Amino acid sequence: MLSFLTARQTGVHDPDRLRRAESTRRALSLELNHDRDVERIHGNGVNSIDIEVIERRYMLSGGSDGVIVIYDLENTSKKSHYTCKAVCTVGRSSHYVHKFSVETVQWYPYDTGMFLSSSFDKTMKVWDTETLKPAEVFQFEGNVYCHHMSPIARKHSLIAVGTTDPKVQLCDLKSGSRIHVLQGHRGEVLSVRWSTRYEHILATAGTDSRVRVWDVRRASGSLFSLDQHNGDESRTSSETVNTAHDGRVNGLCFSHDGLYLISTGTDNRMRLWNSATGQNTLVNYGKVTNESRKGVKFTVSRGCGPELVFVPCGSSVAVYSLHTGELVTMLRGHYNNVDCCEFHPDYQELYSGGKDCNILAWVPVLRQPDIEDEGVGCTRGGARDAVNPAFEDAWSSDED
Amino acid sequence: MDQKKRDRLSELVEELTTSGEPQLNQVKMKEVKKICKLSSDYINHYYHLIMTQLNQDHAEIRLSAFQMATELFSRSHHFRVLLVTNLQEFLELTVETDVEQPLPPPKEVARKLKTHAIQTVQAWQATYGEAYKKLALGYHFLKQVKKVDFQDVEARTLAERKRQEEKRQRLEKIYNEKFEKAKQEMEEMAAEMEESLTQMNSCMALLVPDTFDLFSVEPTVGSERLTFYSGPERDASIWDEQPCCSKDLSRGADGRMTEATKDEEDEDSAVEEDDTDAADKVTFIRNTGLMSHSYRLDLSISTDLKVKETEENEAVLNTMRDLHRLITTRYLPMVQSWIQIFTKVGVEEQLMRQAISLKKALEKALRKHRDLNVDYKKRQRKVIKAGDDDDDDDDFEEVPEKEGYEPHIPEHLRPEYGLDPLPSTSTSVAKSNPSEPLVRAVAPPVASTLTRLKKKLRDEEQDPTSAAATLRILKERLSSAPSTSKPICNVGQDQEEKNDCMGVSKDAAAPTVSRSEQTEEKEKAPIIPFGVDLYYWGEEQPIAGKIIKYTSQHQFWVPHEVEEEVENEDLSAQMKSRHITFAGCFQPVEHKCKALMPNGSLCERQDRVKCPFHGLIIPRDELGRPVNLEDAARLGKEEMKRREEQPDWWDPEFMKEIEAATGEDLGSSKTYGKGKGKKRKHHNLTDLKQTTNTSRLRLEKKVFNKSSMRRIAEVMNKMDKKKHEKFANQFNYALK
Repeated sequence: MLSFLTARQTGVHDPDRLRRAESTRRALSLELNHDRDVERIHGNGVNSIDIEVIERRYMLSGGSDGVIVIYDLENTSKKSHYTCKAVCTVGRSSHYVHKFSVETVQWYPYDTGMFLSSSFDKTMKVWDTETLKPAEVFQFEGNVYCHHMSPIARKHSLIAVGTTDPKVQLCDLKSGSRIHVLQGHRGEVLSVRWSTRYEHILATAGTDSRVRVWDVRRASGSLFSLDQHNGDESRTSSETVNTAHDGRVNGLCFSHDGLYLISTGTDNRMRLWNSATGQNTLVNYGKVTNESRKGVKFTVSRGCGPELVFVPCGSSVAVYSLHTGELVTMLRGHYNNVDCCEFHPDYQELYSGGKDCNILAWVPVLRQPDIEDEGVGCTRGGARDAVNPAFEDAWSSDED
Repeated sequence: MDQKKRDRLSELVEELTTSGEPQLNQVKMKEVKKICKLSSDYINHYYHLIMTQLNQDHAEIRLSAFQMATELFSRSHHFRVLLVTNLQEFLELTVETDVEQPLPPPKEVARKLKTHAIQTVQAWQATYGEAYKKLALGYHFLKQVKKVDFQDVEARTLAERKRQEEKRQRLEKIYNEKFEKAKQEMEEMAAEMEESLTQMNSCMALLVPDTFDLFSVEPTVGSERLTFYSGPERDASIWDEQPCCSKDLSRGADGRMTEATKDEEDEDSAVEEDDTDAADKVTFIRNTGLMSHSYRLDLSISTDLKVKETEENEAVLNTMRDLHRLITTRYLPMVQSWIQIFTKVGVEEQLMRQAISLKKALEKALRKHRDLNVDYKKRQRKVIKAGDDDDDDDDFEEVPEKEGYEPHIPEHLRPEYGLDPLPSTSTSVAKSNPSEPLVRAVAPPVASTLTRLKKKLRDEEQDPTSAAATLRILKERLSSAPSTSKPICNVGQDQEEKNDCMGVSKDAAAPTVSRSEQTEEKEKAPIIPFGVDLYYWGEEQPIAGKIIKYTSQHQFWVPHEVEEEVENEDLSAQMKSRHITFAGCFQPVEHKCKALMPNGSLCERQDRVKCPFHGLIIPRDELGRPVNLEDAARLGKEEMKRREEQPDWWDPEFMKEIEAATGEDLGSSKTYGKGKGKKRKHHNLTDLKQTTNTSRLRLEKKVFNKSSMRRIAEVMNKMDKKKHEKFANQFNYALK
């Protein structure tokens, strides 16, 4: 740390280096912290969470009971212990609440005054954060599994919506109407994602085991569909032509720079694709348990040395190195399946929501005191033990 | 880390978890703890061992492992960290958080494990919840998601609680009904019981004029020792305190003595009022003639009464016996059942007290009855006959008694045996006029009691089951033996007449001798059923065995030789002879099966060839072992064969347990088969396969076994075909 600092001071390293090193260290040392709690509001599983990009202060969460909660993540109390409070809630008592499970929630990328939610009650709502009333309601024929709005788009304000209908719907916030459909899937669409690099590029995944990449300016069809075997004829049987997975594909995520696309499927695999060519990079992540019938929301770190991917894996969150496929750690804390997780790029914190109604905050462990201040460390350790007797062993004397 | 200790730890964990006990062995656990205390490496190892055991599909193993985990959880921080990081799995394996992973059988143990685990998690949360975040999360998970009610762990689900409530209500209703019934019954019966009690008491009073009220006191007060002290402190209250019997006794039974005492008392008090002096003593002696002021009176009253049934008290005793029986068989159980019901329902005190007092009264009556030691006569059941008794009297046939018979009955006992007194009119009657008709009218009753007795006797004699009847038969037989002369004579004359017919010459000169000879011969002669040969006995048979042949079948045209008789030798022989199948003499079986039976005795069956239980009867020695070697070998082989066909339910372990409990050999120790069933690893655990071996499964095994299915299919096919055979000549069915 000190060497990094001096190097940064003397200008030996480029400016990003220290930041990257530290954030990587922090991201690697995530653990369930006693000092950080998230208020329990949801009485049912948490399906989706999203942290807004303007201040990175407010977190949106949608639960299976249709409740939407906004949390304040900022700790302004200057105490180490902090419970993320719910700022406002669209509870069951609200007139506008979703009737059924909220599947996806997303902030409007440019302003916290608006957010979107889609639900199994076949609607997608555009909410005004101030009044907590829907400004717009889009009605669909089937359950809405997911929606996504491009985080970088400046020329359009399209929302891609995946429903039980194989056609991907495009809704325009400007006109407040569904303006387009993208045809090509043969099953329910479980996940849609806009590219984080090109604003017109959209990736969609469905129960037909395919992942399609679209350019929404092109009317004729998808650009290509991802093929897990990279067109290798010898390994391709007629059924598995151009399939990304062997089961349902229920999770999609672009890396932060938009160069890579990650997909997860119910074949318990995770695959990394080159988003430009659609080539399978054949990174082996091993088994990523995934039995969800709905979409799974997972996330990729930002600003770390080797980028990390956080993916729900049963009742824990698996942390993989993005490019090597190495399993870094498993974050165990939930008592039931984890459905979603979101990475906070500024503080390198991870928030995860699962069916056990909890939203857990995974906070980096503080750096251990260095060798120089050993004495201080000892006293602090002793103090800590004195504070918390539960950490002490309690061997009774008769066991000698 | 010491390898040896590590191995020891593994061994201990294995032993402890597979013990199958509901509680851990403290000694072993202490050793485990001692090892774990040494270093956290051991704790790591221990943790892994525990988790492995928790994953076993056996609730008993899991329970033990869970108990071991709790032991260390409260002691080691390191262990807590390890366990809490993997609390999900731990809860899944102990609290059944995952629906798809139910706790393994046996059920009761699993239930116990679950409640235990829930309680423990709560306790952990209380002590360590703050320090270990995941523990708190787990607790909240259980509480909010799984809706575990930590306060009411026992009745977990709502439905269960409801069910229990319903059951309770139903029981209450039943009890209430019972109570109502009992109450009503009691109301009806109480009066009746009181009445019979009074009756019983008065019966007893009649039997034993209980002036001393002996039975009101405890029977231990057999001999009362009374000590009178002529002291000033003695006053009337002492008298009152004395048991009443003594009072009554001293007052009533020994009046003179009492008077004397009274006198003395008066005197005494007078004397005491004055100065006590030697002179006074002298005067006292002079006045009373008593040497001392104080004297003792010992009275012994025998309470072991013996009431004998006599003619006088017969009626009373009968009533009493009836009452006694009524009380023991009917009233007492009834009252007891009432009390039971009342205690169950929790009824008001009044009824309860009434029932209890009733019971006490009944018991007291019974005790009194026992104390009386009533010596009942052997009671014969009276059979009520159709028709009047008086008619029976007339028809009654009294057989004269034979003198000199029944020498073993002493004279003074005769009335007891229900016999007439010895001055025997019967013998004289028998002697004086043997030829007179034996039917004799009953003499007119001299005394009413005597007639009654006789009548009773007669009644009893009518009953073939009674002793008197047997006696009578005995009497008749014995008396008839010497005096058979007349009836036998008659028979003999008949015989003679018959003999005349048969052409046997009769010796008239010595009739008695010939008669006796005849009887002897007659006894020798066999008795055979009547037959054709007897019919033709001693006759020439003209037609027997002759067959008339009709050679022509025509109606009118008859050939020349009209009738031809053919003598059939066989037939004629048949007419005169008789076939007697000689089956041989009956030879009683003298041998016994003598096979050794499970209870150690030998089989007592006396079959001729084959014992239905032990097969062919072969010579055996005293211990039931076959004498011949080849027999022994054959039996051994059969035994083995039978053993191999042991049914499934035959569980040697279970049998062994039973044997250990009862101490009887049920044959579990014998090994059989060819080591087919491999030895179970852990004997202490409940066998899970046992529980799967249900009657249903066994039936399924039979019903759904392949060959039987095939057989049934064949039969069904055949039936199907038969249906079509009817139309076999039609082309579409013929083609099938």
